[in-house]
Amino acid sequence: MTTPLTLRNLTAHYGATKVLDDLSLDVGAGELVALLGASGCGKTTTLRLVAGFLQPTAGTIHLGATDLTRLVAHKRNIGLVFQNYALFPHLTVRDNVAFGLKQRGLSGAERGSRAGEMLERVGLSALAGRLPGALSGGQRQRVALARALVIEPPLLMFDEPLSNLDAKLRVEMRVEIRELQRANQTTAIFVTHDQEEAFSISDRVAIMEAGRIRQFDRPETLYSRPANAFVARFVGFENLIPLTVTARDAGRITAEGEGGIDMTLLEDDLGPIPDRFILATRPDGLRVLYGGHGIPARIGLRTYVGRAYHYQAETPAGNLVASGPLGQPREHGETARLVPEPEQCSILPPEAAA
Amino acid sequence: MTGRLHPALIAFAFIVYFFLMGPLVIVVGAALSDTGYLTFPPQGLTLHWFERIFEMSAFRRTLVTSFQVAAISTCFALVIGIPAAYALNRYRVQLPGWLSTLFVLPVLIPEIVLGFSLLRSIQVGAGLPVVSTLIVGHTLLVLPYAVRVISASLASFDFTIEEAAVSLGSPPVKTFFTIVLPNVKAGVIASIFLAFITSINDVSVALFLTGPGISTLPIQILAHVEQFFDPVIASVSVLLMVLTVIVMAVVERTLGLTFLTK
Amino acid sequence: MAAPATALVVLCLVLPVSATITATFYAGGGPFDLYAAFLASGFRRSVLWRTLEISLITTALSLVIGFFTAYAISRTPPRWRSVLIILAVFPLLTGVVVRSFAWLIILGRNGILNDFLVWIGIEGAPFTMVFTKGSVIVAMVYLFVPLMVLTIVGVLENIPDDVIEAAQSLGASPTQTFRQVIFPLAVPGLIVGAVLVFTGSFNSYATPQLLGGDQQMMMGTFLYQRAMVAFDWDGATTVSAIMVAVTLAVVIGMTRVAKHLNPMTT
Repeated sequence: MTTPLTLRNLTAHYGATKVLDDLSLDVGAGELVALLGASGCGKTTTLRLVAGFLQPTAGTIHLGATDLTRLVAHKRNIGLVFQNYALFPHLTVRDNVAFGLKQRGLSGAERGSRAGEMLERVGLSALAGRLPGALSGGQRQRVALARALVIEPPLLMFDEPLSNLDAKLRVEMRVEIRELQRANQTTAIFVTHDQEEAFSISDRVAIMEAGRIRQFDRPETLYSRPANAFVARFVGFENLIPLTVTARDAGRITAEGEGGIDMTLLEDDLGPIPDRFILATRPDGLRVLYGGHGIPARIGLRTYVGRAYHYQAETPAGNLVASGPLGQPREHGETARLVPEPEQCSILPPEAAA
Repeated sequence: MTGRLHPALIAFAFIVYFFLMGPLVIVVGAALSDTGYLTFPPQGLTLHWFERIFEMSAFRRTLVTSFQVAAISTCFALVIGIPAAYALNRYRVQLPGWLSTLFVLPVLIPEIVLGFSLLRSIQVGAGLPVVSTLIVGHTLLVLPYAVRVISASLASFDFTIEEAAVSLGSPPVKTFFTIVLPNVKAGVIASIFLAFITSINDVSVALFLTGPGISTLPIQILAHVEQFFDPVIASVSVLLMVLTVIVMAVVERTLGLTFLTK
Repeated sequence: MAAPATALVVLCLVLPVSATITATFYAGGGPFDLYAAFLASGFRRSVLWRTLEISLITTALSLVIGFFTAYAISRTPPRWRSVLIILAVFPLLTGVVVRSFAWLIILGRNGILNDFLVWIGIEGAPFTMVFTKGSVIVAMVYLFVPLMVLTIVGVLENIPDDVIEAAQSLGASPTQTFRQVIFPLAVPGLIVGAVLVFTGSFNSYATPQLLGGDQQMMMGTFLYQRAMVAFDWDGATTVSAIMVAVTLAVVIGMTRVAKHLNPMTT
């Protein structure tokens, strides 16, 4: 049972505040999509709209051919996993898992056997008779997962499900969730603020900010080719250097930036370059060299990051973070040139004056 | 947990609130009635019955006694209750478990039994004067309020702040007054007013501890109602309701009245 | 630091109350003579039964009224919710005497209710309503509903929103959610409320005194009558001991039950 989810032009308000702004999103059948962003970006609002706990002020929600937009929450048939698990504290593990089946009018025997099977799949058969209060965080998470899966929903949604677990368990549960979702071919939405989690678990990631999706793509693309400055910063491009083209010569571009810096770039390496653009690199994409044609810099604080040193560098274009090899540590106050590595750079449109 | 409510439930809640407020509104109406007997709705309005309260020496005297006893008991309860609440929160682990139960006892033991026992053991047995026994009784009565309300404030107090002050060279006692107390000010103020009104309203403890010539306002009201049935009682009741409003305003300003649902 | 408060409670509460209770075992010929005498008297038995009966009825009515009202409050938007809570706190902080007196104005022979009944021409009006069991119960319910409401509102507000949302997402309708999730989670609060109301009714004085009089004597009024009118201190200590015993038994017993039922504590 695989069904696509389609969100069209969703707008939502809390009182007078607009929290979701004309958001559209297509989640393919059987696909797992992560909604990623800082708190207040609208990711949880989106989830609550789809779940039916909030009503949009405009827009539609379709699951396959069914219009969910005005359907009451308890008729939507969506499996939800909550951040705090939201287990029923007065019901045993088995009854928690069977709860959704009971609402669907299944007989006691049927409920028992289906809940039992599901508990077996998540490895909790031995704890079926316990109350949630007697379980560890990871066990509660598994019960919550089993409870959402057992109703065989066409759509699964996860609201920061791993944020209350310790680091090791988080990675384990991530794999477990992904395997269960793959095995059932269930369409899924995964809300998180953790970039690593979003990238590792999902087919595609929607990076959100201020009630909009800033980029919706495969993790690999987001990581290497962010589409705008916001996403670039989000995925770790610490150096964003605004530049203006001064000369074009058969794909060889000369550009100038703040503080009189200038550099030469090749469209062969970087793709087409507009007249005004931002050159974005991670620290590893900006090399500290003694000479050559680069951005003049004064070396500041050096930090050891394992495979290299990172340097805080003061330049005419502002403070940048560059990297240098372990063999040749630079000292505080030295002068150097910072040279971007073309294959590790992204060309971004200039930021709108906000 | 907001959500749609069944119309029948809304109607039910309305009736309950009518039931809760109606009798008090009737008392106010009766207090303003210009007839010599209790009636509602009032035929004509007058403030005469409020003047009568102060003309009747029994009411004047008992009102003063009630306020004095309430003020002194509240002070005592705070003076011993604040350190107790502090100890219970700060040293929870080290203190024996029965200690916190002990401070619940005044709530647990029927007040009327407490009153009678104080009469037997302390007033008759130990020969303590009437007013002193009354103060002892009311201090016991309001102590749980002081301990509980201040404990609730202390429960959200971060004791590492106190340790920070001590590490910066502030002596412990001074730290308590300059660091701990200001942070639970809201709880202290709220508990003063809650304790005060509890003492003012008490019947069951005072019942046995008042004697000829010395009585509290509620006991005087009870005695008066049994003999006369006039609007003076209604106007005294209105005065007590005004006091309730003042207490509620203070509690709302400090802890918030929703505190009382916790 | 807790020493002064501890000393006060021990010296002025634990010891005097213990002395009262202990006295009952030494006053008669045998240790239980006073209790045997109490139970042998038809009148005294009737006081005890009446007190239990009135307290149970008051508790049951307060539970029903309190629960539905609290449920309505907890589902009201926050601004109105605090208004409703304030309106419930007001009677709670208004004295017992004032609140019982209000019912005297309403239910008295020349009271408002009788005036009204006469005015609309009801046969046989005015009726005698004060000094009946019914009037005591009405005034007691009035006394304790606010306490019940506030106790249960507190418990209902402690139920996390996401647990209710989880029930909805699993297909439970509002009615099913109420029956299978909200009500079971409120039960510990109902027990606490019931204990407060039952012990409060059982030990009350002002309300049975004003609305019940000698005709509807309860344990509280009987204790006063024994001690201060009849000067029968043996009788008074016996009544005291029974009141303490019933109160403690109810509190301890129901706390056990609540603990057993409350799944939140592990």
